[in-house]
Order: sequence, then C-alpha cells, then structure tokens
Amino acid sequence: MKYIQLLTALLISVTLSKAQQKGSVLIKNGTVLTITNGILEKTDVLVKDGKISKIGKGIKTPNGAKTIDASGMYVMPGIIDAHSHLALDAINEATNPVTAEVWVGDALDPLDIGIYQALAGGVTIAHSMHGSANAIGGQCETVKFRYGELDPDNLRMQGAPRTIKFALGENPTRVHGTGNGILPRTRMGIEHIIRSSFAQAQEYREAWEAYNKNINNKDFKGKAPIYDLRLETLADILKGDIIIQCHSYRADEIYMLMQVCKDFGVDKLVFQHVNEGFKVAPELAEFGASASIFSDWWAYKFEVYYSTAYNAAILTKNGVTTSINSDSGELIRHLYHEAAKSQKYGGLSDNEALSLITINPAKQLGIEHRVGSLEEGKDGDVAIFKNHPLSIYAIPMFTIVDGIVRFDRENDPADMRIYPDPEEKIDVTIWKEKDYDRCMQNTEFLFKE
Amino acid sequence: MQKHHRLFRGMFLLLIVGFFSNNVIAQEGDLKPVTNKYAIKNATIVQAPGQIIENGAVLIENGLIKAVGTNISIPADAWVVNADSMFVYAGFISGLSNIGVEKPKEERKDLDEKLTGNPPNDYAGITPERSAADMLQANEKTISSFRQLGFTASHTVAHEGMLPGTGSIILLNGKKGEEMLYKEDISMFSQFDAAKGVYPNTVIGVMAKYRDLYRKASQARDYSSRYNTDPAGMERPDANSTLEALYPVVDKQMPVIFKAESIKDIMRVKALQQDLNFTPIYGEVKQGWDAIPTFKALGSPIFLSLDYPEWKEEDKKEDLEKKNSEKEDIKELSSEEIEANALKARKMEMIKNYYTQAGIMSSRGVQFGFSTMEVKSKNFKTTLMKVIEYGLSEDQALAALTTQPARILGLSNTMGTIEAGKIANLIVSDTAYFNKNANVRYVFVDGMKYKYEAKERKKKKSNGEEPLNADGVWSYSTETPQGEGGGTITISGSPGNYSGTMTLSFNDSTNDMENIEVDGNTVSFSVKTNVGEEITIDVSMTIDEDTFEGTLSVAEFGSFPMEGSKEPEN
Repeated sequence: MKYIQLLTALLISVTLSKAQQKGSVLIKNGTVLTITNGILEKTDVLVKDGKISKIGKGIKTPNGAKTIDASGMYVMPGIIDAHSHLALDAINEATNPVTAEVWVGDALDPLDIGIYQALAGGVTIAHSMHGSANAIGGQCETVKFRYGELDPDNLRMQGAPRTIKFALGENPTRVHGTGNGILPRTRMGIEHIIRSSFAQAQEYREAWEAYNKNINNKDFKGKAPIYDLRLETLADILKGDIIIQCHSYRADEIYMLMQVCKDFGVDKLVFQHVNEGFKVAPELAEFGASASIFSDWWAYKFEVYYSTAYNAAILTKNGVTTSINSDSGELIRHLYHEAAKSQKYGGLSDNEALSLITINPAKQLGIEHRVGSLEEGKDGDVAIFKNHPLSIYAIPMFTIVDGIVRFDRENDPADMRIYPDPEEKIDVTIWKEKDYDRCMQNTEFLFKE
Repeated sequence: MQKHHRLFRGMFLLLIVGFFSNNVIAQEGDLKPVTNKYAIKNATIVQAPGQIIENGAVLIENGLIKAVGTNISIPADAWVVNADSMFVYAGFISGLSNIGVEKPKEERKDLDEKLTGNPPNDYAGITPERSAADMLQANEKTISSFRQLGFTASHTVAHEGMLPGTGSIILLNGKKGEEMLYKEDISMFSQFDAAKGVYPNTVIGVMAKYRDLYRKASQARDYSSRYNTDPAGMERPDANSTLEALYPVVDKQMPVIFKAESIKDIMRVKALQQDLNFTPIYGEVKQGWDAIPTFKALGSPIFLSLDYPEWKEEDKKEDLEKKNSEKEDIKELSSEEIEANALKARKMEMIKNYYTQAGIMSSRGVQFGFSTMEVKSKNFKTTLMKVIEYGLSEDQALAALTTQPARILGLSNTMGTIEAGKIANLIVSDTAYFNKNANVRYVFVDGMKYKYEAKERKKKKSNGEEPLNADGVWSYSTETPQGEGGGTITISGSPGNYSGTMTLSFNDSTNDMENIEVDGNTVSFSVKTNVGEEITIDVSMTIDEDTFEGTLSVAEFGSFPMEGSKEPEN
C-alpha cells in the first residue's frame, strides 16, 4: 500500500511540474569540480530560478529553496552527450540522400523512459540526432532532460544553435547505393552529393537575393524563386546558421569534408565517431573542426577496424576540442566511466577527462556560454556523485536540471514511466531489451529480401 | 487428377471474380415511402441537452421538423408513432469519421526505386485536391451500423495518407452517394500518416512536408492573386492542383481537421499550427487529459474519440492495491506477484485516464464533441456509458453528440436540436438513451424513417448462457486473399429447428442450408451449389447479438474469414 502511494505521489509531482520549469536549490559543502575554474573544496553552489547565482562558502539558504547536503560528495556540471538518439519517435528519413529539411525536433518523445535512465547517469543534456542513412540527413535537437514535461517544447534547450547530421562512408552508400541503386554508391558519390547540394543552395540563395533586390522596384513584375524548405536549410548551413555534425570514420573522408567545407566557406564542423581522427588530428585542429568520439568502441563494420583507445588523448593533445559520446541508451548511463578510460589510455588529467563530457561537448553544440562548467550565471545543471566521477566507484546521487532535482537516488521509484502502455502484457519474468544502436532506425524497409 | 485441378482452379477464379463484380447487400429504403409526414406523439422530447418537453409531439414533413411541442395538431395523413414512454432526441452527428467511404484496397504498384525520395504526390498520400464527397457509397457498411445507434450525420473524410482530401458533411440516408451529401468540402483532413517506403516515410518527413507545402501554397497563392489583379507583364502562374487545394487553408477560410490521437500528436498539431497559422480542429483525440491546459489556452475545437483501451472490470486498481496491502496478512505473495500487481495498478490508472477525461474536460470548461473514426459501432454505446459512469453528465454526453459537433462544424442552424425548421434528424428510444437497456426504435434521417426492433432482454438462463437468436436476415462479407465478397444468409425458426438459405454472389444463386447445427452461439451449416459441378461450402457463424464472425470453407481451397451483421427489420 505504502509503496503504491509513494509511487503515485511521485508520479503526480512529475507530471504536474509543468508550471515550474526552473527551480532553486542550494548544494552545500561539496567538492566542486568547476571544470573551468579548478576544484573548490567544501564549497556551496546556489542555483536560483534555474541559474547558478553563487558559488562560495557559507551561503545562506534562500527562502523556499531546497537544500542538498553534499558533504563528502563531488559536485560537477551536468554531463552532456553530444551524440544520442534518445527521446525520438523517428530517427532516419532514409528515402532520399539529402533530407536537410527534416528535423528530429518534430519527433521528440517526452515519454521516453530513456531520459530518466540517462538522468540516473548524471546526464542533463543530449544532442538528439538524426541517423546516418543519408549523406545530408536531418536537423538535430539539443534536448534538456526535463523528464516529466509532456510538451516537447519544454524539452528543447531554447536558444541552442541549430545542428544538422551529415554522414560519410558505409551507411549512406549502403542505404542508397546498395538499397536503392542510386547515388551515392561510393565515397566519391557522397562527396558529389554534398558538393552539388551546396552548389544548389548557393544558386537558390543568389536567386532570392536577386529577387529581393528588385522587389521594392514599383514596376517589378518578376516571379520569386519557388520556396523550398530543403534548399532553405542548406542555404542556412552556408550562411553559418547551422553546425554540421558529421558521422565519419576514415581519415580520408574526414579530410574530404574539410576540403568541401573550405570550398564553400563553411567553418562550423563537428565530426562524430571519427575513429581515424588520430590520423588527421593536426588537420582537424588547423581547420578548427572538433571531434566527438567513442572511448573504445569499434570493429562493428569494415570501416571501423582501424581504431585506437588513445584517440581521445591524441586528439586532445593536438588541440582538437574532443568529446566522448554514447550514441546509445545504455552507454549514456555511464559516460563518466567512458571519460575515465581516456586516463587509462593516454593519461589525460582529471580536468581534461571531465571536459570530454562537459565543456567540450557544450562547445561542439554551441552552448558553452550556458552549460558545461560550474560558473555563476550559467544554467543550474548539476550532477552530484558519491566518489569521484572518474572513479570506478562513482555513483550518481542527484541530477539537477535548471535547479530542479530530476533524479534523486534515495528517492528513485521503481516505475518512472509517464504513460504506461495500456495494452501491455504484464510479465515480470521477461526483460525486453530496447534497441541500443538506433543510428540506422527507420531504414529497415530498404533491406527487405 | 490433372483435370480436377484445372476444374478447381477455374471454379476458384469464378468464385473470386464473382465476389468482385456482384456484391449483393440488401438495401434499406428501396421503396418510396407511403407518406412524407410523420408524427411522434406522447413522447418525452429532449429538444436540446437539458431542455425537455414531457408528453410532447414532433411533426415531420418533407424532411423537416414542422413543429414540436405539447399542443400540436396531427394531420390525418401523417404516419403516427405512438411513442408513449419513449424518448426523442436530435440525431447524433459524428465529428469525424469515414462513414460512407470505403477503405481502399491495398493494391500499390511498386514505385521505381529512383523515385523513392521524390514520389508522385498521390503515391505519397498527398491529395488535398480530392474530396470525400466524390467517394461516397450508399451501401458502405458503417452507414447502417452507426445509423442504428442514432447517428444521422457525419463529418466524413477519406482514409489514409497525410492529406487524404477535404471532408464533407453527409446525412446517413440516400440511395446514391450524391444524395447523402449535405455540405461539401468544409475542412481539410490531415494526419501524421507516413507514406510507406517513400518520402515522407517518417513523422519527421511528414512534418517537414507540411511546412514545405504550406509555405509553397502561400507563395503560389500570393503570386496568383497579384497576377489576377494585373497580369500584364507577369509570367503565368504554375498550375499545381495540390497547392491550389491548400489556398483556402492558408487563407484561413477552411479549417484543418487533424487526426490527433495521442498526446504527442496533439503537441505536434500545436507546433505546426503555431508555425503555419492554420485554423485547427483536433479530431479523434484519445489521450487528451494532459492537454487540457493546452486546449484551454488554444480554444480550438476538439473531437474526442470513443475508441479506448479495453477496461476489464476485474483489474480495478483498488483491488490490486488491496492485494498488495493485504500481503502482510496473507504472507503468500511473492515479490514477482507484488511487482506484477504494481504494474497492473499503473496500467489500470492509465486506462482510467481515457474514460475520465471527458468528464474532467467538461468540468474545466473545455468544450468538445465526439468523433467515431476508430470506435467500432458495437463498442460505441458501452464506451459512452462508461465515460458517463466516470464523470460526464448525460446532458454533456448528448451535447457532445449533437449541439457541440453542430456548433464546431457550422451546422447549428439546421441540426443538433429538435426545433421547427431544422432537418428531421431524430432518434426515438424506448427509454432514456443513456440507459444501458435502451433500444433505439426509430431513427429519422432527413425525414426518412428507419425502424428497429427492441433487442430481447438478456434473460440469464440458469447456466448463465444467453439464448441464441439467429433468426433473421444477415448480410455477410468474406475476405479471400484476392479480395472481398458477400451476400446474405436468411435463417428462420428457432435453435434446433432452423432452416434457411444463403445467397452466393459468385454464381448468383440462392441455396438451401443443410446440416444445420447449433453449438452455443455458433451456427454451422453447409450449402451445395452448382458451378458446372456441385461443390459444398461449409459455413460457421459465431453470433454475438446482431453481429457475427465466422469462416467460409470451400472444399479444398481453404477457409476464409467472414463477418456480418443482422439486417434491421424495416
């Protein structure tokens, strides 16, 4: 009885929290890992109305604010995952090699229990991405893990820059070349698709500029170029309004895309996976491109054999802004372990290792002025650990988003689903595993026998 | 043996072709009515929700309500319904349905793979230029099944695709599609249905396509209107029927009725509406309870679905809680049982939301009508009764079936209440409609009378079984891998002593039933028919009140599912 009451009470507090998206909380007496300003022992962090208002000692509890005693615990910025497919109802619009106009922000699934599971790993922000079926895929969404909100607008990190998925190599060639017998069948084809798309977008933009120049002319009777959401989006990339986030593995294709971007004046470029990034680290640094990688995951297809667990360290030491991502509903729950592997392989410092999952992914998403470190004025996104987060014994205790405690290990109900399936067959003896690798979801229909 | 095979193949083809070409379903109202004046007298008349006339009369003439009240002189040539103790209501209006439009058969040609990313609009389900008005078929099955429940009008749309076309108001009466049509093209029906295997293949594609189409349409409309004002020196506008069909929508002259079943659909409609600025109607809403603040803020019209997850009484949440709380006394529940009970309790709590939302919406001042796109006619009344049991008042329920849809769809001047001058769409029920045991005895649609027999009260036998009532005319349809077919089965007599005939469309025959056996609710029999050689068809019907499901087996060709319903005795 008590169990059910507790459960219901908690659930109600979750689903009705809509009106108060921003909260206040005082985290007292923790070891504060600021990332950008060293380690502050026995220090308080005050989050007021969703923002970090003060970091210091002996801060008084403001009226109505919740207090967390973090004595003996580690207080760090909320972890940011630069590559995830969480909380999405659709991942790949795989029907065309270029689908720049689609946007996974249209398919946000606030009911995904994976959000809560990720919160339980200290994660507060994920970059929910389109899949890798297309050379130029859809636009992605930077999501704040405000689990319990039902309006997808409340999950979006308002003001985060737009990003778009590109993909090189085997996935797009398999879907379109092998699956449908069209371009791209090879890496050359992918380059051609990207170049010709950019060229079309340039023409489109020029046509509009010419039209807009004349529109105020009284006698002008011309016809506007036909509106096209795909070309609009591509033109926005050329304008620098959208950060390219490109799925890639091999050094040659990584280098290729940097050349293409140079030719079209595009400089906002983040490579995803980048298993051979260590081979072109100086070139990435020179371009100013950054890399979001796995700690030690490879060999799941031919193009991913030449890999090393030293990738994070090599990239970092070469001056490439590097992050470690999950691309998985399971890995996202222990990104702090993934970051720690960079200490085993390559000997990164604590701060360098923690940067891989905080300030660096924030930079790659263009949100580093708001999150990724504990600084006054930044968003109140905080993860609190028992034991150092890079320790094998690290345990996430609290996860706070905009000053609201969204995960509390001591008050963690068994069933945190928001909308249970009313038609589910209840069988407590079976554990159904969810798809973890969703990069190629929604493409299955192309590979039917 | 060879010869036999060929013969059977021939017969099989004949059977299939026959099913396609000669779909005999008995129609109601074939005869011209004797009179066009009807009087319903001595009835309790519910003129509008909460507005009751005791011992009143309604006079119908030439399809219209001529008079209503207590002091009405009844003309000598009127056909009189002595409605003592009966109730009269305005005919129901379905806020959104496919009534009158057949579901298209799945026959898609494979598209050239090179067109996967840019298929023709009609292949991708983008046909806003089509109209449900052009697809109406007077013999479509749900017309009679919903009419029998009291529905007299429907906001009808086509099936399938993200933009299946415009919706029209139809009356559930008429021998031809065009006779049913009341008001054409009143809405643009929209869904989040992805195109299968081609662009837009996912909801992200569909959302992007809506944006692209709406913006293209606004642009084309602006150019056209400039051209129409002063074409000299201007390039001729492009012809594009898809975009032209969207002009009234982007002009906000035509509302967009979106099928928005889930909470996520509702939020997506809201996002699109804010982006594209159309006039939305939320249709077939199933998960609306958490969207109540959103609905209140938007003030957009809503049609709630009545197709909800099944609620089995034995799983009531309270009982499960009790089970867990009693565990200390019993000390027999394993941890698995406790977990399963907790999960069941949450599941029940979820299911309950579907049934309580209508009442909560009403109490919070959110107005809505009901739509019937997904609910099966046989489940309509039970679901409605449960919604009433869980908080919706009977008046509110009646409003959601009459005055609300009339208001939302712009029909209030001709439908929704019983007032002189309105269309004679009426329900006559033998007791208050929102009574479990009520029987609809007459439905008038556009002044046309449909008569129904009272269902026999369920007399519980000592063994708990209900008596079988197979007596009557049943229309059936069957599905073979190649398509649908149908006919009628006429049964007379009583269990143990049945006789009857079955019509078969494939050889246009009427055949006597043989070997009739009754087992519980199942009637099985065989018919012998001649297709150059005599073959035997075995039929089994499992009857549930006035519908049945069963199988039709033809020698060695296999067994096909069939279903049917009892024709009302008119």
